[in-house]
Amino acid sequence: MSENNNDIVLDMSNIHKSFGKLEVLQGIDLQVKRGEVVAVIGPSGGGKSTLLRCATTLEKVDYGKITIGGDVLCDTIDGHLKYCDKKLEKEIRSKFGLVFQNFNLFPHFSVKRNITEALIHVHKKSKEEADKICGGLLNKMGLEEKADEYPCNLSGGQQQRVSIARALATNPEIIFFDEPTSALDPELTKGVLTVIRELAQEKMTMVIVTHEMSFARDVADRIVFMDGGVIVEEGPAYELVTNPKQERTKTFLAGY
Amino acid sequence: MDTFLSTLSQLGEGFKFTIGIFGFTLLFSIPLGLLVCKGRMSKVKIVSLLCRLYISILRGTPLMLQLFLVYFGPFYLFKANTANVKIGPYNYRFIATIIAFSLNYAAYFAEIFRGGIQSMSRGQYEAATVLGFSRMQTYFKIILPQVVKRVLPSVSNEVITLVKDTSLAQVISVAEMFTKASAAASAQVSVIPFIVAGAFYYFTNLLVEVIMNRIEKSMSYYS
Repeated sequence: MSENNNDIVLDMSNIHKSFGKLEVLQGIDLQVKRGEVVAVIGPSGGGKSTLLRCATTLEKVDYGKITIGGDVLCDTIDGHLKYCDKKLEKEIRSKFGLVFQNFNLFPHFSVKRNITEALIHVHKKSKEEADKICGGLLNKMGLEEKADEYPCNLSGGQQQRVSIARALATNPEIIFFDEPTSALDPELTKGVLTVIRELAQEKMTMVIVTHEMSFARDVADRIVFMDGGVIVEEGPAYELVTNPKQERTKTFLAGY
Repeated sequence: MDTFLSTLSQLGEGFKFTIGIFGFTLLFSIPLGLLVCKGRMSKVKIVSLLCRLYISILRGTPLMLQLFLVYFGPFYLFKANTANVKIGPYNYRFIATIIAFSLNYAAYFAEIFRGGIQSMSRGQYEAATVLGFSRMQTYFKIILPQVVKRVLPSVSNEVITLVKDTSLAQVISVAEMFTKASAAASAQVSVIPFIVAGAFYYFTNLLVEVIMNRIEKSMSYYS
């Protein structure tokens, strides 16, 4: 990884995305620097998840430019949107990890295989190498004794930590979290947030869509507040939460 | 006692064909069903439409009628002489049975597989995509193994029905077990051959049940 703290890992500019007649993203600009933790907050239906899905290639944008780790995923030139070829797209996918709200672990694979499968069959690592990476990550997640368990035998919090390990396994430049604790009860939420906090301390670049306001305030460097398909307000995390400038932000935060 | 033993040996002769129809039908109808299922789910409208039509007609008409059609069709339609058609030891009677059964069962299997594939959450595809798995890898490593587990109970149903349906081949005089049983029953003026045939079918299906349960159990390590 580069030592230059100013280089941009994720650069999204003027992103538009519609579903039918509904314009879910209406010109979003978002830049994330290496080592930065950005929390995206806002009401449901405000476009947060769609933004994340566009950045992670699960959804195609209608307009705009996305650059991840220096590679251009898509660009709009003279009004014409163009996506990169499949080969580059695959390469770009290896530069980020995505943690889903409902984990999406592979239920027929053991915890270990969930983590190592892509390492072995996509990244062509040897089994020994993959096992070593997996062991290290499970250790970090406090799940070293669960390697041979199946996801259905784990609690929601443990499953989410496995999915974080899975996302980390390929050593990505940036990790996206899509409401990582929304499917968990408060007790289990804690463990997952602790893991994310540790990653933040290690200067992992992260974009976290979350409803955990105090967590966002404490862990994120910057918070982006989205509503109605636009970024209403953004700024340093603590400042935005404690002293929002926009009325809509104030109204939203008053609900927490 | 002698009659009983000869009944047994006659039915045993027929049972070979019964098992033959059963085995070949499974062998051909499952892959064909998977293909029709893929076609049915295809984004290409015409392919999807043709597969729907195929499923609709084969499920919507009697298997017996389909048997007649495959067996007599070539002659009535094209005056083709099928009497000398042979593949290995199998005559056209038997081949027509396999064709009709495979086409028919493929339609049912296609719908069972479609149900299984569509019950998979989108999240499984998405997780596989962002991890960099190719479409083929996603299908064969992530989706299909889970679909197999989900469709197994419905597939068991079809397999058990198939064992019994083989008796339909009697209508085109395939020398399978039921044909033999009918002949023996009228020769002996007795229902014993039917009861023995019933026992054959039942114990075959008992075996099918045990095997399918084993397979299900071997996949119960996850839910």
